[in-house]
Amino acid sequence: MMVEMTDVETIGRRKYTVILGLALLFASLPLIMVYFVLIASSFANTMLTGASLGGIKLTIENWILFFQGKLTTTAGKIYETTDILKYILNTFIVAIGVAGICTLTSTLAGYAFSRIKFIGRSFLMQFLILLHAFPGVALIIAVYSIYVYTKLSMPQSFWTAYAFIYVIIARAALEVPMSIWIMKGFFDKIPWEIEWSAIVDGASRIRVWREIMLPLVKPGIAAVAIFSFLAGWEDLIYVLVFLPPTEKTLATYIESLLAEGSLEFIHLPVVAAAGTFYLLPTILFFIFARRLMLQTATGGIKA
Amino acid sequence: MAKKINQLFFNKKPVSGKRTALALFLGPALLITILFFVIPLFMTIYISFTPTKNWNIQKYLGTFVGLQNYERLFRLITYDPDMRAVVITTIVFIAITLSINVLGGLALALATYFIEERVSTTYQVLWLLPRMTPVAVYSLLWYYFFHGTKLGILNNLLLALGVIREPISLGTDPRYLPWGAWLILIFVNGLVGVSFGMIIFYSALKSIPRELIIASRVDGASTLHLIRYIMLPLIKWHIVFVTVWQLLSLLTSYVHILLLVEWRIVDSSWGQTWALFTFRTAFMVVKDQGLAAAAATILSIIGIGLGLLALKILGYREMIIEPKGDI
Repeated sequence: MMVEMTDVETIGRRKYTVILGLALLFASLPLIMVYFVLIASSFANTMLTGASLGGIKLTIENWILFFQGKLTTTAGKIYETTDILKYILNTFIVAIGVAGICTLTSTLAGYAFSRIKFIGRSFLMQFLILLHAFPGVALIIAVYSIYVYTKLSMPQSFWTAYAFIYVIIARAALEVPMSIWIMKGFFDKIPWEIEWSAIVDGASRIRVWREIMLPLVKPGIAAVAIFSFLAGWEDLIYVLVFLPPTEKTLATYIESLLAEGSLEFIHLPVVAAAGTFYLLPTILFFIFARRLMLQTATGGIKA
Repeated sequence: MAKKINQLFFNKKPVSGKRTALALFLGPALLITILFFVIPLFMTIYISFTPTKNWNIQKYLGTFVGLQNYERLFRLITYDPDMRAVVITTIVFIAITLSINVLGGLALALATYFIEERVSTTYQVLWLLPRMTPVAVYSLLWYYFFHGTKLGILNNLLLALGVIREPISLGTDPRYLPWGAWLILIFVNGLVGVSFGMIIFYSALKSIPRELIIASRVDGASTLHLIRYIMLPLIKWHIVFVTVWQLLSLLTSYVHILLLVEWRIVDSSWGQTWALFTFRTAFMVVKDQGLAAAAATILSIIGIGLGLLALKILGYREMIIEPKGDI
């Protein structure tokens, strides 16, 4: 009986898989092509954008040049060296900072929204959705004004550190509303009985959170940590606005390279290597956490 | 033991304990939200009534000029062709990209619904890739694609097909403006946007009771009938929600566009949307924060309106499960 039912329901699923699968493949061609060109060009002696693909050789020279910071030339083969390792480190610092702040605040607040009754709870939850959708460009003008104002009261030697701290907190703030919603969802799934028995035994809410709930919401913590890490890792605008021009990340470096440099002095396959390296966390995430991504992707980033 | 019984049956647990716990749980999130959302929002509105420029906050923040910035903004829209280009670009860009995002998302969701799961997952993951790609890399991909020389992938394709004889700069050549620039913006943003609709619609389709679909199949409904009379009516609120939410996103997104303008792939006046105009006015070109704040305030009002509408559609009350009990 069951077999018959699924047969009726899935009528023609085989047939559709072939036809629709091919249609989807056709629609996906531009996407497949641009990603292929980026990654493959980073291993080639010339950009793979040309129609004639003759004379292309496989090489890892682009990657060596990238890690040496040799992305632009002054003339011929004389390279200008940039401190690319510092830029990579900066990207990491921002990403890890954003992930840390986001994970901590949302693990705390997500628990409260899931488990504690308090006045204004429902209002605050809706307010968070509004904040998540709020135009970031409207906030950054004021956020930068506050930064400029507070910076002046600090000793000049502290300015760079202050810029990093500020950019991390300000960027994390953008991810906090959605992270709280994601964490709340994970807390909601845990049965109440476990918590009740602990509270009956006299444990405080804080102890219950730390010793019983935290180990149970590890997947949620991982999801929020990964998403906020990627948000910090990919950030362009906040880093561009707040960090001094000497402190670049991979995003602002690639941005300034193509904005200021003339194409005669930039070796594009090395830029492709930089882009591919910058894409690595996303690729790793896709390989190891596909299911997690399909579940939570639309919450994290908007477009 | 007596203490526990007291707590359980007479609710004698000190209230201050709950307050401390709440303060600890909510404190950090509230602090960040107030410092980086609530205060900045009011401050942006305030700045829009001051003549602040060049970030000289000490000098200008005390001066109040009333609606002067708003008047300047509307005068610019009326008389300045570049500003009018911003308004027209914003409207065209949003209208077309929004249709592509919603209809494309629906098409992808339906297509992946009707095929076998292992094939459909692969495509869904592929279409999510742009959303998860760092914005600088994603723009770099399209830099290579639309580049105006023989380096550009598109130019090579068109040359090989014999459509053009010389490489073209689609986004900046006056001959193709404004549509050349718009086409690029729509294409680049459309490919990111469709995945949102795809995920929402796909999970909505999956939650339609199987009995409904089986019953209509037994009655001999064709796939088109099934979509038209069963599926679309059932996910109609999801479609409305995605439309509102994507409208809001498109209105406020500008980072890809900023890079494509900076990298000279699209024209700086026909490739500039309202959000990008706001950002560039505050930070890049003229550094006129008063004017930018006025533009930002208008954007915020529209944003809050659309956000409230989206909340209403979501039926938030059903989404928020009440905590079962407090001891």
